[in-house]
Amino acid sequence: MSTPPQGRAREKERAGLAEEAFLTVHRVSKSFEGVHALIDVSFQVKAGQIKALIGPNGAGKTTLLNVINGLLPPDEGRVALRGRELAGMKTEQIAALGVSRTFQLLRLFTVNDATVLDNVLLGAHKRINPTILGTLFLPGRSRHRERVMREKAMEALSFVGMNWAADRLPTALSFGNQRLVELARSLMSEPELLLLDEPASGLNDAEVEEFLQLLLAVRARGITILLVQHNMNLVMRLCDDIVVLDFGKWLAEGDPAAICANPAVIEAYLGAAGGGGSC
Amino acid sequence: MKLINRFWWMLVLVFIALYPPTIGGMSPYRSGLLIFVGIYVILAVSLDLLMGFAGQISVGHAAFFAIGAYVSGILTAKYGAPPAPAMMAGMALSAAVAWGVGRPVLALKEYYLAMATLALNEIVVTLIVGLQRLTGGASGLRDVPSFSVFGFSFDSQIRYYYLVWAIVVLVVASSLLLTRSPFGRTLIAIHSDETAAKTFGIDCAGYKIRVYVLSAVFASIAGSLFAHYMGFLAPDDFSVMTSINVLVMLYLGGIGTIYGPALGALFLKLLPEITVRLQDYEMLMNGAILILILVFMPKGLFGILTEIRSRLVARGSR
Amino acid sequence: MGDFSYLVQFFFSGLTSGAVYALMAVSLVVVYKVSLLICFAQGEFFVIGALTMATLTSKGLPMPVALGLSIVISTAIGALVERVLIRPIQNTSVGNLIVMTIAISLALRGSALLVWGKESAVLPPFSATPPIQVLGATLQSQVLWIIGVTLFVLIVIWFFFEKTRAGIAMRACSENRLGASLMGISTQKIAIFAWAWGSGIGALAGMAVAPLLFMQYGSGLMPMVKGFIAMSIGGLGSIAGAVIAGFLLGIVEAYTIGLLSSQFSDTIVFTLLLVLLFFKPSGLFPASGRREV
Repeated sequence: MSTPPQGRAREKERAGLAEEAFLTVHRVSKSFEGVHALIDVSFQVKAGQIKALIGPNGAGKTTLLNVINGLLPPDEGRVALRGRELAGMKTEQIAALGVSRTFQLLRLFTVNDATVLDNVLLGAHKRINPTILGTLFLPGRSRHRERVMREKAMEALSFVGMNWAADRLPTALSFGNQRLVELARSLMSEPELLLLDEPASGLNDAEVEEFLQLLLAVRARGITILLVQHNMNLVMRLCDDIVVLDFGKWLAEGDPAAICANPAVIEAYLGAAGGGGSC
Repeated sequence: MKLINRFWWMLVLVFIALYPPTIGGMSPYRSGLLIFVGIYVILAVSLDLLMGFAGQISVGHAAFFAIGAYVSGILTAKYGAPPAPAMMAGMALSAAVAWGVGRPVLALKEYYLAMATLALNEIVVTLIVGLQRLTGGASGLRDVPSFSVFGFSFDSQIRYYYLVWAIVVLVVASSLLLTRSPFGRTLIAIHSDETAAKTFGIDCAGYKIRVYVLSAVFASIAGSLFAHYMGFLAPDDFSVMTSINVLVMLYLGGIGTIYGPALGALFLKLLPEITVRLQDYEMLMNGAILILILVFMPKGLFGILTEIRSRLVARGSR
Repeated sequence: MGDFSYLVQFFFSGLTSGAVYALMAVSLVVVYKVSLLICFAQGEFFVIGALTMATLTSKGLPMPVALGLSIVISTAIGALVERVLIRPIQNTSVGNLIVMTIAISLALRGSALLVWGKESAVLPPFSATPPIQVLGATLQSQVLWIIGVTLFVLIVIWFFFEKTRAGIAMRACSENRLGASLMGISTQKIAIFAWAWGSGIGALAGMAVAPLLFMQYGSGLMPMVKGFIAMSIGGLGSIAGAVIAGFLLGIVEAYTIGLLSSQFSDTIVFTLLLVLLFFKPSGLFPASGRREV
């Protein structure tokens, strides 16, 4: 497995080089049947960052990811990737622009005995773009491309340490391993922006540690990460920057130390009494 | 043993090719039966592409069966058109209808989709019955000539047998090719989880429609073959009941496998020959079979065969 | 002054079929509200109810007894179907459940074919009163019975769901299954109950209409489909919507057959269904009930 990049210094350097916003969320609002899931949320993510989106349950974090990724249209506001407007585009189109994501409650493909390898190969769909005519009348080209893709898929699986499971059914794997397969699938799509929805939930401490190292390695490849995560330990150690939502509204934003010390954040999470917390 | 494992399909092809002159004993009755089997194999396989792979439930596939049959029948019987172009006209019309209603129909989910496909089937059948002058209405369309290509006429059972089964082999082979490819994999993604599929750039609506059109075209071919074989068409053969029977074949054989529906069609068409001949039992039997499959053997007959095969292989490698 | 009696006649026949569609739709809604299932086999209970009652009356049983017994039998079959066939697969995909209800409908219809053959149910009207003349049109007394039965069913349903503990439990189950089971409500018993209700209402509808129509083993599919259409128009979870839509559908259909064409009336109805599904699958009167995510 790859090793994490050395030291905070390099991270600061990288942050200094990429000042312009990579992902901009600007005044996004979304309601469902009178429930205001998101209210006027704005923040930015810089290129090459690992940014966390945190907040108590029901704060609207998954909804926000759904808006960014095109699964839900925002009622108001804009989302821009490197200046390019995303709101209103279909999810497939946004995917083509280099946005990929994982899901809180795993969405692996399982019908007709699809294997782990099949799942990862599907991550590369937009590079394969199979058609009926192409499959029936140009079998040679298909076969060649398939071989290349299989190698890449195995590489992606090796990166997450799951190449041994390539021919297994996803449902036969542990939850933590399934999360790794989802990550491999997302990486296969060669994204520039990776949206992760609670990727470490349900993992034990050892697995969380592994995951942390993996995400650092992902960032080392130049991929920007926006991460929704409850595990404060992971967030504090991993992320350059954090944005906090509460009841759909932007609450605070800043680096881990600042967020930890922020009284509004503490209150939102733990109630006025404060207490432990893993800051 | 290993060779049989890999090349069993060759045996099947040889069997199909040599059946009439040998075991079939040139018996018109048996060949006739197998012709029906062949037609329903095409139908069932086409439905598998749509339901087993793309995951779109259809309770009205006989609509396209009907379109193929009646276009072929009408053009050849009433207007004297040559059968091969007439068949292609049927395919074109089926494709057009599937393309036209595909987007709104396939945007529906589950029950609504099932109902929409049922509605489409009923619309086609009621139109056939209503447009009496054109289709012969409820009393049927007569005098459909035999199939012929460039003057070569398939007017004997044996010849028609080979025509049908040649087409069956083509349909099955192309379906296998499609489903065991990245295209098939994409369909499985759509079937499993459209939300996740979209996240990886899959245009779900586009793929679903394309499969819908292809399966409609295959069903249409089956319809044309049916028309030229029977020589006579009645709207009853294309009702929702027929669609449901194809569904039973699909599940019985094993949905999502391409071989499965072929097996199911074979079994379901031959079963009445071996057991009880009474037509009245057929409906109850089909229902009971489907229930048993759903509860006890969701992977169907083909699933059982694969189980047996992998156990034999496991035992063999010890 | 023209003779508009035929318009009135259409209205009466529309009322008759409308009542059937309304009852079928209600039975579908009851099952749907609780198990989130649309039962393809509903139409078979319609038929089986009528055929059972016909057989019982032909054996000399007095009509009310035959009716009651028939309802009991149909209800029992419905409950049995849920327990034995639906419950084992209730956690598999919706597609599987849909196919299962199709299979059940096939099996029931096939059984009906074997038991009763292709003959139609011969049922005398509930009362021997002669037809009434209204505005020049003839109204069979049975139609009044049908309307009466519909009202009766509605009142019973209202009473059951609003006033009895079991009914309130069923409503709770339909709104929030997890919550209901956490409150100690046995969701499985409720599912059986719902199916029993559905099949009972369907059977009652069939018995009420049988004196006026030729009903045989296969006659169940169309009422079920039209019931579904009415349910879709009225909003999936809404009983009131189902009733209104059912009558509307019946009346519109009667006028279409009468004034436009009888040959293509089914084509028109199904095309309307398609159009409806394309534009507003959740119905014209969206009701409360489970939101489909």
